[in-house]
Amino acid sequence: MTATEHGPALPDGLRDRVLAASLRARAAGRPEPAAPEISPAEAFARAADAFYGMLGVLQPEDWRRPALRGLDVQGLVGHLTGVEEDTHRCLSGDPQVAEASHVESTQPAAERQAGHSPDETRVEWRRAADRTLELVHAAGDPGTELAVHGMRLPLGTLLVVRAFELWIHDNDIRQAAGLPPAVPDPSTLSLMTEAAAQVLPRAAERRGLRDPTSVHLVLTGPGGGTWDIPIGDSAAAPARVGIVADAVGFCQLVANRTTPDRLDLHISGDPDRAALVLAAAPTLALD
Amino acid sequence: MLATCSRADDLISGRFGVEPCLVPGNRSSVHHVGGTDALLAARLAAGDHDALAEVFDRMAPVVYSGALSVLGHHATAQDVVQDVFVELWSHPGRYDPEAGPLRAYLTMQARHRAVDVVRSELRRAARQERSSRLELGQPDPTPWEQVMASQAAAAVRAAVETLPESQRRIVELAYYRGLTCREAAKAAGIPEGTAKSRLRLALAKLETVLDRQLLESP
Repeated sequence: MTATEHGPALPDGLRDRVLAASLRARAAGRPEPAAPEISPAEAFARAADAFYGMLGVLQPEDWRRPALRGLDVQGLVGHLTGVEEDTHRCLSGDPQVAEASHVESTQPAAERQAGHSPDETRVEWRRAADRTLELVHAAGDPGTELAVHGMRLPLGTLLVVRAFELWIHDNDIRQAAGLPPAVPDPSTLSLMTEAAAQVLPRAAERRGLRDPTSVHLVLTGPGGGTWDIPIGDSAAAPARVGIVADAVGFCQLVANRTTPDRLDLHISGDPDRAALVLAAAPTLALD
Repeated sequence: MLATCSRADDLISGRFGVEPCLVPGNRSSVHHVGGTDALLAARLAAGDHDALAEVFDRMAPVVYSGALSVLGHHATAQDVVQDVFVELWSHPGRYDPEAGPLRAYLTMQARHRAVDVVRSELRRAARQERSSRLELGQPDPTPWEQVMASQAAAAVRAAVETLPESQRRIVELAYYRGLTCREAAKAAGIPEGTAKSRLRLALAKLETVLDRQLLESP
C-alpha cells in the first residue's frame, strides 16, 4: 500500500495498472480530439486561399505600408511570388535553386512590384501559387526529395513549410494593415506543429547545443500534440527538459515572430537548458 | 478551397475555422509545471501522458476513497478508479475547467460509476432472486455478493420509508408480501388502475432517492 496525504492508501500496483490501461485506450502523444488529417498539398492550398482572401480585403493604402525587411506589403507579396517561382524551378528539376538564398533570389520579384497595381500583384501571386499546385499534383509522390533555398527535404515537408511561410507572412501583412492575427485550421496547424517539432534537433545543432537533452514538448490547443525529441550528442544520458506551450505560439517562435519571454511557457527540468532549446527554436526560420 | 475562409468578415476578424489565438503578451519567461487544472486539461488533450501520471498521483486517493465509500469493496473500487482515469485520458475534453476543479469532477465520476455498479448489482441480484425461486441447488453467494445484497437491501428499505403513505403501502404489498398488482389493489381497497399508478410513481421516486443516497453516502 502507498500512504497518501488526502485519502486512503492506494493498493500497490494500481498506479501502473491504470497508466498502462490508459495507454491501451489512447496512445501517448496523440491529441484528443485529433484534427482531421489532410495532405500537405491541401494544407498549402488552404494557406494560399487564406492568403489570397486576406489580400482581397486590404485597402489601397495598406499596400504601401512597411511590412518586413524594408519591404512594403506589395513588395512582400512580390517576395512570395518569387518564392513560388523558385519552387516551380525546384519542382522542374532546376539545380540552380538548391543553394539559392531565400531572400536574395526572390528580391527581383519583390522589387518589380513597384510599377504594378495592387491587383496586378495579387493576381500574379495567385497565378504563381496555382502553378505550384499544378506542379505538385504532377509530381505525385510527396516523398520525392527536393532541394531549394538551402533545404533538402521531401515534397510533402516542403509544402508544409510553404504553408507555414504563407501563414506567417499573412500575419506580417495583417499586422502592417492593423488587422487581427489569423490562425490556421487545426488540420493545417497539426502539420505545422509536427514540422516545428521535427526541425528542433537540427535547429539546436545549428545553434551549437551539444549537451544531450531529451525534450518533452507539449503543444496545447487545436493542432497540438506531444513529442519526445532527442537533442545533442546521444552518447551520454540526456537531461530531461519539459516544455509546455500553446501550439500557435510555439509555431510563431519557430518562425521567429515571437520570443520565449512573450509566450506562456511551462518548464520542467533544468530551466537553463530549456532556455537554450527555446533560443535555438527559431534558428532555421526563413524570412 | 478553404471552406472556413469564405467571408470577408471572417478574414477581417482573423477567424479561420477556429477562435483567434491568444495574442502573446508580455509574460514572465519561465513558469514551473504543476499549475492549474486548465493547464492539466490542456496537457491531457495534447497527449501528454506525464500529465495523467501527475493527475493520478495527486487525485487518485480521493477518487479511490469516493468509490470505496459507495461500494465498500476494495477490488471493485480499484476497477472504478481505473475506469475514471482511462475515461479522463480517452476523452479529456469532457472535463470543463470552467465548470469546477478537476478533483471534484473525478470524484463525482467515481461516485457515479460506483452507483452504476451498485445498480447493476441490484438488477443482477433481483434476477438471481427470481430464478432461484424456480431452480434448486443455486451456488452460495460470494462475499462481495453478500455485501452488495445487504447494502442494497438497507438502501432500499431506507428509500421506501421516504415514500408517501399511500405509495409505501402499495410497494409493501406488491414487493414485501409478493402480491400481484390486482391482489395489492384489493388488499388496499383501491381500484387496480390506481394501484398501478401509485406503484409507477413510487418506483420512479425510489430510483431517484436511491441514486441520491448512494451519491451522497460518505
